[in-house]
Amino acid sequence: MMNSMSNVEFLKELMNRNFKVIETDVIDKYQVSFVLKQADILQALVTLRNAGWIQMSYLSAIDWPDESKIEMIYIFMNWERPVHVQIRSKIDRKDPVMPSIINIYPGAKYYERECHEFFGVKFPGNPDYEKQLILEMWDDIPPLRKDFDPQAYSDRKFTKREYKEDYLVLSDQNSKKEKREVRKERAESLKGGQKV
Amino acid sequence: MKSTKFTEPRKLSKEEVDRKWWEIGDFFRRNSLWMLMYCTGCCAIELPPAMTAAYDMERLGMGPMATPRQADILLISGYLSVKSLRRVIYTYEQMSEPKYVVGLGSCPINGGIYHDSHAVINQLDQYIPVDTYVAGCMPNTESVMNGFVDLMEQIRNKTAKGWIKYQENNEWYKKNQKAALGEVIIHDEFHE
Repeated sequence: MMNSMSNVEFLKELMNRNFKVIETDVIDKYQVSFVLKQADILQALVTLRNAGWIQMSYLSAIDWPDESKIEMIYIFMNWERPVHVQIRSKIDRKDPVMPSIINIYPGAKYYERECHEFFGVKFPGNPDYEKQLILEMWDDIPPLRKDFDPQAYSDRKFTKREYKEDYLVLSDQNSKKEKREVRKERAESLKGGQKV
Repeated sequence: MKSTKFTEPRKLSKEEVDRKWWEIGDFFRRNSLWMLMYCTGCCAIELPPAMTAAYDMERLGMGPMATPRQADILLISGYLSVKSLRRVIYTYEQMSEPKYVVGLGSCPINGGIYHDSHAVINQLDQYIPVDTYVAGCMPNTESVMNGFVDLMEQIRNKTAKGWIKYQENNEWYKKNQKAALGEVIIHDEFHE
């Protein structure tokens, strides 16, 4: 029986032996994150899968508009060695293309469609990554890009209910404000049970 | 002289007879309402206590119904995304008349906390007519029950006329649906 620190050591050793790891982040003893080059991703996933990380838990992206990059994130789980592995890689934001991983992890099919819908990442190799999944008949830039303004989209697309502003704001009237401040001062001065 | 006992009853016109039958129908209808619950929003969590022993919806004569064609009420609980609005319109148009819509929570009223979302519609009554709203985020179970009682009262007063409005102003509703949805017909891989 191995303890869980040796799992992390095993994983680090496995990744560093086979690939050029740009950055390693041991979040805790159950979570490790590796940043790889885009070209290494598919090979890394094959290696991980053969080493027992058979469950694909998640596939998503993060938009970094300042760097003009989109960061792909893959998360895998091994039930023999309980460590979640995050594989991260930054790809070009202008024309984001990431080869599909459905030959390695078939369950990624719908994750890739979702990622294409929300971030505009293309997945050649997945036969229907361009089909609509959640957003139907979307007519704007992908909505989870940081430069998408949901408020403006909502204002343009959906009718808003209009309300009459027929209320009075009584709390910032001067007369009451003064009174309130006097009251507050008096309350402060009574603190500790002693009159000043 | 003819006895008053045997005077002929006044002939009722067809409208009057119809109205009487509608009143009878409404009496039975409002005491036996079947509700189709479209529970995609978080307000649906208020329905289990309303349906089960705590508040017992059954004592008002209300029950859940699984299919739209046999249901009287369409209950929209919480926020509606654009995608589910298409399904709601399908469902609403399948229901047999008379049909009533209850909007639960503040999201069908003005968008609620999702007022600035790209996926959530803001005003349900632009797309289908709503008879009763239950405001609150989320409304507690007493107000949900109160909303149902209000709807029964509306049926009794003949003010629950959402379905007639939908017939009469059908173009207006269709125009709004098209403006927000692009197309109401559902195109997805499971329907093709």
